[in-house]
Amino acid sequence: MFKLILKMAWKNSFARPARTLLLIIMIAVSMSMMLGIEGLYDGMVLNMADKSKRSDSGEISIFAKEYRINRDLKQRIADAKTIQKELQMMEGVRSVVLRVSADGLASTARKSSFAQIRGVNLQEEESFGKFSDFLQEGEINFSKRGAFVGVELAKTLKLKVGSKVIFSTQDSSGEISSMVLKVAAIVQTTNIVLDTSTLFVDIKKVQKFLGLKEREATQIAIRTESEQLYETLKKKYPTLDVKSFFELQPMIEMMEEMMVIFNSITFFIVMSVVFVGIFGVMYVSVLDRIREFGIMLSIGMQYKQIRLQIYLEAMFIGLFGFVSGGIIGLFLLIYLRDYGLDFSAFADALQSWGYETIIYGTIKFSYFSTTFFAIMSASLLSVIIPLRKIKKLNPIEVIKADK
Amino acid sequence: MFRLALKNILFYKGRSITTFALTFISAMLFIVYVSMMDGSHKSMLENTLKIYTGAIEIYHKDYRDIGGNEYLIKDVTSITNKLTQIQGVKAYTARYETYGLLSTKESSAASMIAGIEPEQERVISSLATALREGEFLSNESQNCLYGGAGLIEKLKLQLGDEVAFVGAASDNSFAADIFKVCGIFKTGSFEFDLSSSFVSRNYFDKLMMAQNKASYITIKVDDLENVDAINEQIVAVLNDVELESLTWKTLMKTMVEAMEVDSIFGYISLSLFLVVIFFVIMIYGFINVSTRIKEFGVLRCIGFSNAHIFSLLFYEIFILSSLALLLAAPIAGYICYYYSVHPIVIEGIADMYKDYGIVSDEIPFNFDILTLSWNLALIYLLNFLSILYPYFYINSFKPIEATKHV
Repeated sequence: MFKLILKMAWKNSFARPARTLLLIIMIAVSMSMMLGIEGLYDGMVLNMADKSKRSDSGEISIFAKEYRINRDLKQRIADAKTIQKELQMMEGVRSVVLRVSADGLASTARKSSFAQIRGVNLQEEESFGKFSDFLQEGEINFSKRGAFVGVELAKTLKLKVGSKVIFSTQDSSGEISSMVLKVAAIVQTTNIVLDTSTLFVDIKKVQKFLGLKEREATQIAIRTESEQLYETLKKKYPTLDVKSFFELQPMIEMMEEMMVIFNSITFFIVMSVVFVGIFGVMYVSVLDRIREFGIMLSIGMQYKQIRLQIYLEAMFIGLFGFVSGGIIGLFLLIYLRDYGLDFSAFADALQSWGYETIIYGTIKFSYFSTTFFAIMSASLLSVIIPLRKIKKLNPIEVIKADK
Repeated sequence: MFRLALKNILFYKGRSITTFALTFISAMLFIVYVSMMDGSHKSMLENTLKIYTGAIEIYHKDYRDIGGNEYLIKDVTSITNKLTQIQGVKAYTARYETYGLLSTKESSAASMIAGIEPEQERVISSLATALREGEFLSNESQNCLYGGAGLIEKLKLQLGDEVAFVGAASDNSFAADIFKVCGIFKTGSFEFDLSSSFVSRNYFDKLMMAQNKASYITIKVDDLENVDAINEQIVAVLNDVELESLTWKTLMKTMVEAMEVDSIFGYISLSLFLVVIFFVIMIYGFINVSTRIKEFGVLRCIGFSNAHIFSLLFYEIFILSSLALLLAAPIAGYICYYYSVHPIVIEGIADMYKDYGIVSDEIPFNFDILTLSWNLALIYLLNFLSILYPYFYINSFKPIEATKHV
């Protein structure tokens, strides 16, 4: 019997092909657009978070207490090298880097700007976050006096590869010191602070320039997949300031949360409208065939079997819509993931906001699974009212009913 | 035809209610969303203009691109004298900006230090009203420093404290002085408050050897809408190829572009809703005509032409859309107007997005009749487009065939 109902449902789903096709197109178009938008927006934030972790904070960063408030060299980690070794031995730690940073003034012969010098170990940074990926121009190599400049700072100071720049700041003893640097590369990390103000220099040179010892640093950044490491480190180093990525980047956390809220609202509204569309078609489809259902009831078919048939019809339409939308959406997401959307015409604006000029999307299985449940639910819910109409009528009345 | 369309609307209640409701919802959503987006962009621009950047600024050519003391404006007085002749110029002032290190015994920080004309700044910028502690500068102020709250905090200074300044004068010689903190300001612009400080020009010019020189002249206009016309007048009056006069659209190009990008993303999101709603309206229209094929067949048999059928469908959608939009426009308009006067406040948003130049927790809407009109026109257009497929579907039937359609 089920086979027969299934066959009838299948045939009836496409009894009015134009109507069904229109509905499938509606589901497919709205679903693929929604998937594309979700993937693009999530991709923007995920990309930003990923690059922020790779270029700066990692999943966890450790500072001396008060350093983040005062950004004063007096608040530095005295035995950073020892802590780095300890961390490297810990389970779940993928990479650890030390950094030394100081705020000051960067000047060329013609322009000046606030800047931050950041001492980094290139080899360690490469394994920490593939630093070479951030290269825009030049060569990732700290040759003699070489420095890498953030893309926005380079614009402000009109720097090119090979330009000279002087960085002045107060060293650890309070004296004003200056250092002459030659731009070896221009980098874009998509971290606003780094791109607008940072000069990356070899850590040993910076330590020497600032009068720090080799074992000292202002930041220890850690890459890890471990969820428990943060709590462990907080307990292990109570005299230091252990911060998680989201504590350091609350804006990104808020962006992620806002994206979830935005996507959920979009999803709800779109699915509600899709529901209205499916409901309209299913309602008319049932009314069109009300005599047919009356005859089926008269010849002994039970109401629950008719109900099953109508549910199956709705499911078929929903499923076709989902599959079509899923295929189009998947292609769209793959395109966005691999090629992205090119906003080169707005390069200055995007770079100043910490975005890349090409915005890439991301693909998550949850996009498809949640949409599947939503479309199937909308399809099944849409036939409840038409079914109630059939249930209320007796077979004789139904057969006599005029369309 | 109009009466027939009206009767059909009243007869096919389900379709009519759905079309009306969806048109109403899409119009409300569209108008309010665009108003909020435009309002927040406008507010960001206005806040930035209010703080420090002028509506128009005059530079020596190449000062912005190359920089350096040789590209300072050399004869400020003769230029400002010319500006007094121009209608629409509300106020103007010359600023001398330089970068230097401010140091105390404990800490140092790089700062933009600008020599300003305090009395003119009171009219042009919000520097004076941003005062939090101490006092704003006067033309007679001596070595008084008016510093941003972030900068003062970074240097661990308090009112009355002294701070050493080291920089380069306008003749490229070494310049150094001791300033005394006389006032602290907070504009809300994170970067500006963290990096800017001001000294009265009368004093600063002597230190920097910058008498009658300026980095640029900034101008406030009576009406921002006329900024391009006023700028054209300025260019004509200056008549100097060595000078360039730029409006805020060029000065804040990055911000304007950023807002365009934000708008693009906003419209991408909106298009999703509009496309889905368009499809549903079309589906209901299609269902409606597909149940009336017989009726259309009869109408064609008694002499209705294709154009009449199109008119009938057009009137039906026109009446439904007009009713929905007549209701949506005043409600959405009122919401936009209300929130343009009483902006939505999201506590902490300025602090959270300080890196993006957001200086206020307020999100005002934009109430603009022109924007509202094109929003409504677009919804109208989409609704009219939704009858095309149903119309072609009816026309695919021959009159006799349609009358026999079951």
